[in-house]
Amino acid sequence: MDVFYFTEMPYTEFPESEVEKYPSMRLTFPNTYFDANKAHDLFKRYLDEYQYAEEVGFDGLMINEHHNTPSCMNVEVNISGGILARITSKAKILMLGNLLPTSDNPVRLAEEIAMLDVISGGRIISGFVRGIGIESWANNTNPVYNRERFEECHDLVIKTWTTPGPFRWEGKHYHYRAVNPWMLPLQKPHPPVWVPGTGSPETVQWTARNRYTYAAFLTPLEVAQGLFQRYREYAAEDGWEPGPDKFAFMICCHVNETEEKAQEAGKAFMWRMNYPLRGPREYWSPPGYMSKAGAAAVAARRPTPLNEMSYQELQDKYHLVVGNPDSVIKKLRHIKEQLGIGALLLEAQGGPLSHQDTMRSLELFGKEVLPALKD
Amino acid sequence: MSTQFSEEFLKVGNDKIQMFKGGSGDPLLILHGAGGNRGPLRYAQALANHFTVYLPSHPGFGKSDRPEWIETIQDLASFYTWVQELHDLEGVRAIGFSMGGWLAAEIAATCRHAFSSLMLVNSVGIKPQSSEIADIFIISPSQIAELTFHDPKQAPEYHQIFEETPTAEQTDMAERDREMAVRVCWRPYMHDPRLPHLLQRVSIPTSIVWGRQDRIVPLECAELYHQIIKGSELKVIDGCGHSPHIEKPDEFVKIALDFFS
Repeated sequence: MDVFYFTEMPYTEFPESEVEKYPSMRLTFPNTYFDANKAHDLFKRYLDEYQYAEEVGFDGLMINEHHNTPSCMNVEVNISGGILARITSKAKILMLGNLLPTSDNPVRLAEEIAMLDVISGGRIISGFVRGIGIESWANNTNPVYNRERFEECHDLVIKTWTTPGPFRWEGKHYHYRAVNPWMLPLQKPHPPVWVPGTGSPETVQWTARNRYTYAAFLTPLEVAQGLFQRYREYAAEDGWEPGPDKFAFMICCHVNETEEKAQEAGKAFMWRMNYPLRGPREYWSPPGYMSKAGAAAVAARRPTPLNEMSYQELQDKYHLVVGNPDSVIKKLRHIKEQLGIGALLLEAQGGPLSHQDTMRSLELFGKEVLPALKD
Repeated sequence: MSTQFSEEFLKVGNDKIQMFKGGSGDPLLILHGAGGNRGPLRYAQALANHFTVYLPSHPGFGKSDRPEWIETIQDLASFYTWVQELHDLEGVRAIGFSMGGWLAAEIAATCRHAFSSLMLVNSVGIKPQSSEIADIFIISPSQIAELTFHDPKQAPEYHQIFEETPTAEQTDMAERDREMAVRVCWRPYMHDPRLPHLLQRVSIPTSIVWGRQDRIVPLECAELYHQIIKGSELKVIDGCGHSPHIEKPDEFVKIALDFFS
């Protein structure tokens, strides 16, 4: 099982009381609170932490992308992917992921990812995402076409990577005269594709049909089991059997020297479980964004929303694993056994978790947790 | 006195659209807004005493089919000229409310014989210069209802439309309606940059009617329509919001009967 290190690169240095005045921290909380100098310093530490994560033995480094939110300064996954391609040399670079529906130029996207794969020496894992509803608003992409654009953008990117140019494309949303980039991925036929999901059945089906890896994000264990099972059923219909490499699972995780230190420092993750997950329904689910089946699946996913769970509940439900090395090893092993995953994605920096606590945690991951998980 | 309206389904190519029809006399076509077809409300019943009122649900709204190819207001306009041709509704009087007014303006701007006269009520379609059309897609349906009215207490049908618990079917239909509105109005938001130019050719009698206290489509849009459409009249209703036909139905009907007779 590969273990990945992940942070959303949050910007937390503003008064939380200000957020209360707005419908959500996402989308419409004013960016007047953004200080570019602070952001500069934050990027320095976050990127140092990624380098250190590779050094201590994480198999991979995961980055994501969001817009209009202090919870994620990573507004362009291909930029940070490029940085990691140069400041690291061994770890897989999991970009989870590029927002396909908001792309107006899939060929350019294909070029960018190919360039990253080439520069990194073939270490890119290309995640493709539909984006949460917020991204439709921020990028002003019509939500009713979210799924169509996701699929057509995907088809065009894959074709750009695998069909010799020049070729033409007259689709519904995208149109090209001469697709022929002088930049193709190093990995053949193309970098592995991963797709994150939180419950929509159409996403599981599409991912399984394409034989991509499905990454369950912060779902309860039983829900993840159910989603993976559905994936296996779709695969069986198509006559193949997925191995563990088709399943990944993301949780938040903090390890520290003692249980007490861990529980204290781990409270930093409550920031990312709070405001970033709250907002009007319309922000998260613009009209047309989700099918009825998808909405029902999301509603059934957990009886209590994450942002209403206590610190202890989040740990009990395996959304957040916090402890000394022994207790963390035990819990992560349990997840591995329960889910049969090939990859575990650990959001090991979150909210205001300090550079010192993050580095200490990474050191302990490297020394104790990762080697134990290898058995 | 309430008039009986029938519900019909009209065939248009491979699709069908839902149509409420009632009354007698010359035809009067009513084009609903983004909130959907509320059916023969009080104002429509009153108009049905003088005209045969046609109240269709646009493709993708109500019980009408949604042809795959319809993506814009201009597509809806093309579709409606087809409806008119097939079902003998060319050269009729027409009223358009809000998004329905935008639609009616597009039809009139491209098709000389579509309408004999036209009433645009609190209509989107032209981008205001010094104000903004409210973004109704980013707020909840109950927030939209709140924005729509200047004083809900003066709307006789407010309770029946907004305060009764909807059935599951009604909720589904409302969501589908909203999706269709998003499909055709998303961007540029609620306006067509061509419209001010094409409207210059419109020379049929046109009445611009506006609830002054419209918090969704500013009064500036009324003035723009009035300036651009030659010979148009402008009637502003005081103490009234976005939907005069619901908020002040009797006053609205009087204005309509004055204009259309």
